[in-house]
Amino acid sequence: MLVPVFSLQLNTKVFPRTVSVGKFNGKQSCLVGATAGNKVFIHSPRDVNLQAQQLDGNISLLNVNQVVTSLGCGQLDEQLKRDLLVVGTSTNIVAYDMDRNVDLFFKDNPDGAHAITIGQWGELPERLAIVGGNCSIHGYNKKSEDVLWTVTGDNVSSLALLDFNGDGYNELVVGSEDYDIRVFREDQLIAEMQETETIVSICPLDGARFGYALANGTVGIYERSNRHWRIKSRNIAVVLQAFDVDGDGVDELVTGWSNGKVDIRSDRQGEVIFKESLSSSVAGIVKADYRVAGENLLICCSNEGEVRGFKFSEQDPNALTASLYRDRQEAIRDLAQKKQALLIELEHLDDAIKHSKDTINKSTRRIVSDSSEAEIPAQTEIHTILTVEKRQNDSPAHIAVRMKTSNNTIIRVVAIFAEGLFKGECLVIHPAVNHVKESIVVPIIPARDAAVDLHIQVFVGFKSSTLFHIFELARPLPMFSMYMMIENAPDQEPKGFVTFYLNERIPRALAWINHNFLLAEEYAPTAPSLYVTFLAIRDNTRLIIKMQNNGQITIQTDDMELAGNVIQSMGKFLNIDDLQTTGDYPHELEILQKVFAEIEEYQIARQRISSDMAEHSNIIRSFLIRAEDARLIGDISFMKRNYIDLLNLNRDLIHGYKIRCTNHEELMKKLRYLNQMVQKAGNLRIGKYKTIAINQCRAAIKANNAQLLIKTIKTGNV
Amino acid sequence: MRDIDPLFQAISYYRRRKFEQCVEVTSTLLEKNPNDQVAWLLKMRALTEQLYVDETEVADDGLADMLDDNAFHQTPMPGTSMRQPTAITNTGMSGPSPAMRPTTMTGRPITGMLRLNSQSTQGGKSMENALKTARTAATARPVTTATGRFVRLGTASMLSTPDGPFLQVGRLNLPKYAQNQAVSRSLFEHLFYHANDVRAALQLATHANEVYQNKDWWWLAQLGKCYHRLDMFRDSEKQYVISLEIQPMVDTYLYLSRIYLRLDQPLLSITKLQEGLEKFPFEPCLIQAIARIHEGLNDMKQSIEHYRQVLKLDNTNIEAIACIAANHFYYEQPEISLKFYRRLLQMGVATSAIFTNIALCCFHAQQYDMIVACFLKALGCATTDDERAEIWYNIGEMALYTADIHLAIQCFRLALVHNNDHAEAYNNLGLVELQRDNNEIGQIYLQTAQSLAPHMFEPYYNYGKSMYEQGDLQSSFRAIKSSLDIYKNHADSKHIYDELRKMFSEL
Repeated sequence: MLVPVFSLQLNTKVFPRTVSVGKFNGKQSCLVGATAGNKVFIHSPRDVNLQAQQLDGNISLLNVNQVVTSLGCGQLDEQLKRDLLVVGTSTNIVAYDMDRNVDLFFKDNPDGAHAITIGQWGELPERLAIVGGNCSIHGYNKKSEDVLWTVTGDNVSSLALLDFNGDGYNELVVGSEDYDIRVFREDQLIAEMQETETIVSICPLDGARFGYALANGTVGIYERSNRHWRIKSRNIAVVLQAFDVDGDGVDELVTGWSNGKVDIRSDRQGEVIFKESLSSSVAGIVKADYRVAGENLLICCSNEGEVRGFKFSEQDPNALTASLYRDRQEAIRDLAQKKQALLIELEHLDDAIKHSKDTINKSTRRIVSDSSEAEIPAQTEIHTILTVEKRQNDSPAHIAVRMKTSNNTIIRVVAIFAEGLFKGECLVIHPAVNHVKESIVVPIIPARDAAVDLHIQVFVGFKSSTLFHIFELARPLPMFSMYMMIENAPDQEPKGFVTFYLNERIPRALAWINHNFLLAEEYAPTAPSLYVTFLAIRDNTRLIIKMQNNGQITIQTDDMELAGNVIQSMGKFLNIDDLQTTGDYPHELEILQKVFAEIEEYQIARQRISSDMAEHSNIIRSFLIRAEDARLIGDISFMKRNYIDLLNLNRDLIHGYKIRCTNHEELMKKLRYLNQMVQKAGNLRIGKYKTIAINQCRAAIKANNAQLLIKTIKTGNV
Repeated sequence: MRDIDPLFQAISYYRRRKFEQCVEVTSTLLEKNPNDQVAWLLKMRALTEQLYVDETEVADDGLADMLDDNAFHQTPMPGTSMRQPTAITNTGMSGPSPAMRPTTMTGRPITGMLRLNSQSTQGGKSMENALKTARTAATARPVTTATGRFVRLGTASMLSTPDGPFLQVGRLNLPKYAQNQAVSRSLFEHLFYHANDVRAALQLATHANEVYQNKDWWWLAQLGKCYHRLDMFRDSEKQYVISLEIQPMVDTYLYLSRIYLRLDQPLLSITKLQEGLEKFPFEPCLIQAIARIHEGLNDMKQSIEHYRQVLKLDNTNIEAIACIAANHFYYEQPEISLKFYRRLLQMGVATSAIFTNIALCCFHAQQYDMIVACFLKALGCATTDDERAEIWYNIGEMALYTADIHLAIQCFRLALVHNNDHAEAYNNLGLVELQRDNNEIGQIYLQTAQSLAPHMFEPYYNYGKSMYEQGDLQSSFRAIKSSLDIYKNHADSKHIYDELRKMFSEL
């Protein structure tokens, strides 16, 4: 079990998810974290720095002068034999060697840094500082070269390095704001898992297992791409950490919650084995030998700067019996509760039986099955049909789930569970009493194309029933459910297309269509070549899929993302390892070109504004000195004049700053768009061609060559 | 004799560095034909050359720089930063104690040569303290880096042409000039050095870099210089680094090292300079810069080692000779110092400071016959009052050693006549007065010295001691504590401190 060993107060605020620990002189662990005023605090239990010792509570500060968005510690340079501190802000990355007071590098990083991790990635020889930003991931080595670069679908929110497939090399697990967990083997995407919210934290456990936490309060464990267990809480999990609590040699999952709770769950079932509470929200949990070298402690740090350390210790027999007794008591209480519930259920059933017996006694003519209020006919069935509905006058485009009972029973309530489809967990439809019928239509609007399993619970009974029978149904919702098959109309074909060759026969492609689209009946045309048109009911655009006998497939749509999804889905269905495609998206590429030009403009403007600001701030400084000089010699009127000047100039400066902020925001937006385009372009290809395409795009962006970029997006390589 | 072609004459003047005449000739040429590009360019270059300064030596820290948090770490490990408060400097540092070798205001041992930045008052002082202390005529610092020297240069340029500045900077079509390779560089230097319009220079450099697609090291380095001048160190660093990748240059390495110094990362600065040395192994400037940084870090051994290397490469380097000489003097080897100072004299550097130093060396080497002659020579060479004050102070010191109290008093008084802020003179005067039992006067002198030079521990110690002897234990305690704050290991102060503590605890 864990026993508390120390507790202290840092007297500074600590920003969540920025707490880390490192041995900056190679021996002594220091706690670091971001704090108010764009600073990073460093706390060490026994300070070797004499100067810092005089400071309050052994805390020294680093001036970052920019909002710290992420922080990491690790041995970036193996030769140094000590940890480096890597600080990420919205515009740059600093790798700092604290022992020598030297920057290893300072790098501009316009994509921002939302998450940082340091370690070995794949078979790359060097250790990397891996930085996740706006839709992009950079791997910097100690010479500040970004040796690896790749894109993800959305802003990166968490990163972890672990051996995902057990091949002895680390893979990068990336959680992003589009609710996806992606696994990268170097720059190759090897697995993708859908979640229901932004992944705020990922923590490697033993083997291929890792814990994850979502912004909606879900915490769980994956083993490779299978979810072991998950739980959900009203509070939000802030950080995860692995720590061996029970001494069995296997790390358990430690979770820090937004309400200050820290709990430790078994990695197998997710039951709580240890609980502790801090006075305010948890900001970070780290594992380090903080007090005694070699003895790992679990250190929890709260937002308000409260720090508590715990260590593992063998339980003494008294405590063991005490906890055993407590466990037994709890088990008895659980069983008692279960018994109570069963008793209540039995009572209900008894009531119902008595009731039906009464009615039988009253009129013997009626058929038993019909008169029963609790029982519904044995042969009752629920028919469900999924149909695609276009936008009507008052209802938006949706997928209609139509349910009907096979006899005169009615459907009282429908509850649909589906992962990530609804806000919250499920959708419950319960019509008003006078609208209750034997059929019901539930509209579903998936926000994006993804295959989901619908778990439907239908409450069936009679109009006057108080007890209902529950039917549980499962219906798969295919990936491209929001598309409706329509008549071919050659004159309305979209301009954008992507085309490629497959070594497959048409029936296989047909099978894919039938499997992935929501069709009323199986689509089996007789024509020698395939030509089918779908209407995307979200925005009324067309998606056309053509296939020739020689295996050439053309997908026509103006939506590059959709085309990418189609290709990825096809690739998965038909087991395609590598696929090269060519395509053209005149509309999107036009926007891209414009964005490219705009980015350049914004960057130039930014440069100008910042040099203006620098000059202004220089003048302000001299005003301040002069004013202070005047104050010291008692020349109040001169001082006043100087301060008034300073005030005016300061106003200008703030104004300039605001302009710069908006400029920066716009720039970020554009850069994100650019990264997303690269991601989409990569998605149009499969396997190694995807990697090649992304790297080529990267090279084009680096060279600032819009034409090259567009060509790469079109052809996949140059 | 026929007149020579005025353009040729102007070029000739320019070559012979007679810039004023050159400007005159080109001005007349331009009056005749305002579109004469050659004359225009020549005039521009001549004007620039008049005010050209070596940027590697400039970049004085301004007073206002202490308002900034350029340094990354607020409390770095000892020996890794230039911002060490005085109290810590002498623990674990190699080099003589402040008792033997006087310190500068930053708490660093006094160097052999007065140069920019050697007088900065950054370390461990609050803003108000820095504003208050000793901004005398000799130690005045510019308010900020960007003002100070550069504004003075700018105004000078305006005065040189009575009918307004040579170029209307606001009206220049910078993108157009950036295209023109022949003019752009000269124009840039003119904007940067003469017009002192860093922003315009920056714009020109940016345009030029666009034209050259960031492939021209010179323009990249200039861009870095502009950012440097605007105190945008990180941008500046980036440009310098790219420039070095394209073409390693000694200057660029020096600029880069200065940037890291401003970011308070002296070790990184040394690393960069050493990288430069790999490319330019026989470059005294780089080694000299390393020596200076080591000196700033109180690492005298390394510093002197590097100065010696400089001398091996360039045996006429005044700074290296002077620093080594000073070091030998403070390590009690005045005879060796004398050799170095003689070398300086042979090279024709005959300033009053050197003669004073020689006199002091002679005194400590017991060559008494030379002392008076040297001091006389020094007084003869002295050009400013400050120098005279220093000389008289040193003569007074000699007088003290020879126990000629009256001469000493007169000398110190003379020193104060020449420089009213001479704290050391006040201190010694105070001591002498105390010895003559003029306690009150002595104490006042000591207090004056304290307020003038808060970085010196001697006035505090002397004051504390005198108060201790008189029985004003409270004042004594206070003064001794200040003394210990400045110089932690001062044995005499410690002794009195311990005594006082014992007494107070007995109460």
